[in-house]
Amino acid sequence: MKVTVVTRSGREVIKGGLELDESATVVDLQEAIHRRTKKYYPARQRLTLPLQPGSKERPVVLNYKKSVKDYCDGNSGNLTVVFKDLGPQVSYRILFFWEYLGPLLIYPIFYFFPVYQYFGYKGERLIHPVQTYALYYWCFHYFKRIMETFFVHRFSHATSPLSNVFRNCAYYWTFGSYIAYYVNHPLYTPVSDLQMKIGFGFGLVCQVANFYCHILLRNLRSPDGNGGYQIPHGFLFNIVTCANYTTEIYQWVGFNIATQTVAGYVFLVVAAAIMTNWALAKHRRLRKLFDGKEGRPKYPRRWVILPPFL
Amino acid sequence: MAFFSLLRRVYLTIYNWVVFFGWAQVLFLALSTLKESGHQHVYRAVERPLQLAQTAAVLEIFHGLVGLVRSPITATLPQIGSRLYVTWGILWSFPEVQTHVLVSSLVISWSITEIIRYSFFGVKELLGFAPAWLLWLRYSTFMLLYPTGITSEVGLIYVALPYIKESAKYCLRMPNKWNFSFDYFYAALLVLAFYVPGSPHMYQYMLGQRKRALSKSKRE
Repeated sequence: MKVTVVTRSGREVIKGGLELDESATVVDLQEAIHRRTKKYYPARQRLTLPLQPGSKERPVVLNYKKSVKDYCDGNSGNLTVVFKDLGPQVSYRILFFWEYLGPLLIYPIFYFFPVYQYFGYKGERLIHPVQTYALYYWCFHYFKRIMETFFVHRFSHATSPLSNVFRNCAYYWTFGSYIAYYVNHPLYTPVSDLQMKIGFGFGLVCQVANFYCHILLRNLRSPDGNGGYQIPHGFLFNIVTCANYTTEIYQWVGFNIATQTVAGYVFLVVAAAIMTNWALAKHRRLRKLFDGKEGRPKYPRRWVILPPFL
Repeated sequence: MAFFSLLRRVYLTIYNWVVFFGWAQVLFLALSTLKESGHQHVYRAVERPLQLAQTAAVLEIFHGLVGLVRSPITATLPQIGSRLYVTWGILWSFPEVQTHVLVSSLVISWSITEIIRYSFFGVKELLGFAPAWLLWLRYSTFMLLYPTGITSEVGLIYVALPYIKESAKYCLRMPNKWNFSFDYFYAALLVLAFYVPGSPHMYQYMLGQRKRALSKSKRE
């Protein structure tokens, strides 16, 4: 069959189109496009069916598992697909690794090395126990994240745009430095022993709960990388859609109760806002997908991310 | 419902013309002081109307948020932010820079821009449309006045730096129980850094707005 590949403005990406086997899958189509265009490797390609002009609907994205024939409506053995270049892509594993590596390495620099003399603080630095525990807690957190990235998470998309590397690293590395500066500061004022224990204790419980949430999410997806959506269930997911974000936010609350810096609380608010945005989208998506019609289950009433607020 | 629409129009008409008058005053005082006394005295002469007219712009954030006007707050927020920062955070806070010649270029750039902008909106709310020449002015003069205005802002912040550092004004030091500190000098450096990507971004935005506005009027 013949496949014509055009851009959104109608220009032909591949002159004369492509000749494909009847049994070709979308993967085969992507590889054929890659062979002809060299620089557009499959992860960069976004292939959709053409929309009727003026249609308000979202275009149908070609699923890489399906046969190309599935998308040829009717009997004509031809298909036109719309191509969009997503730009250089990087795998999520690599993206997460670099963004988490920053905080993991930068924070200990403020703890171990005499950096504060460059900020004008000469002389001895007295290290409080809470600062040492904070170091362990922080590093454990980001070490856990890196381990989960490589061994636990199953990603629905394999890649993310390259520009996100710079944006995300800027976010994590800047906040990491900002918090590390204040917690390890020579003039740092610790909270009471009891408050510190409550903070770190609560935080650790939440980190363990968060890990368990990630395991549950992983088991929702099959190993062949289906990446589909299921109704999350089990443990905290029975009452809140994004229990993984919930536990992550509360874990930072624990850290901040123990260390008490404005920098830490600012980070908490920003991170919670970002995760809330994601949670709202996910909750909406799941409710739309599982609408109870045509034999599909109906998505149960649940908190979105932060009981009892949202 | 029609009552609220009328109320909105009356309110915005009054708002735009009142602030227009404030900026007209600033321009008049700036030019006459320059002619009679010299640039060192310009700030003294324009201080009150400048502060009033510029601070009133805070209302525009509110207008955008409640939907009274269409402008997206992502465009108005950085603009108002930098204006208020220079007006209060630099000029009012550090008298040593008030006699600098850049103050004159600053207030003249700002006042001409604002006179055109507020009269444009004022006429539009009052009459329902704006004359073509006013539309042209609104979307063309920025090409000169943005560079002159931004240069003056950046220049004045830079001139103020040694006074900011020495006075330690608006600084919060450690130790304190919230383990927080703020250094106005480093904050000023950060603001200067933001001007580097921020200025071309705002200029490009206005160029885009210009293209849309002037082509739209040609088609009508």
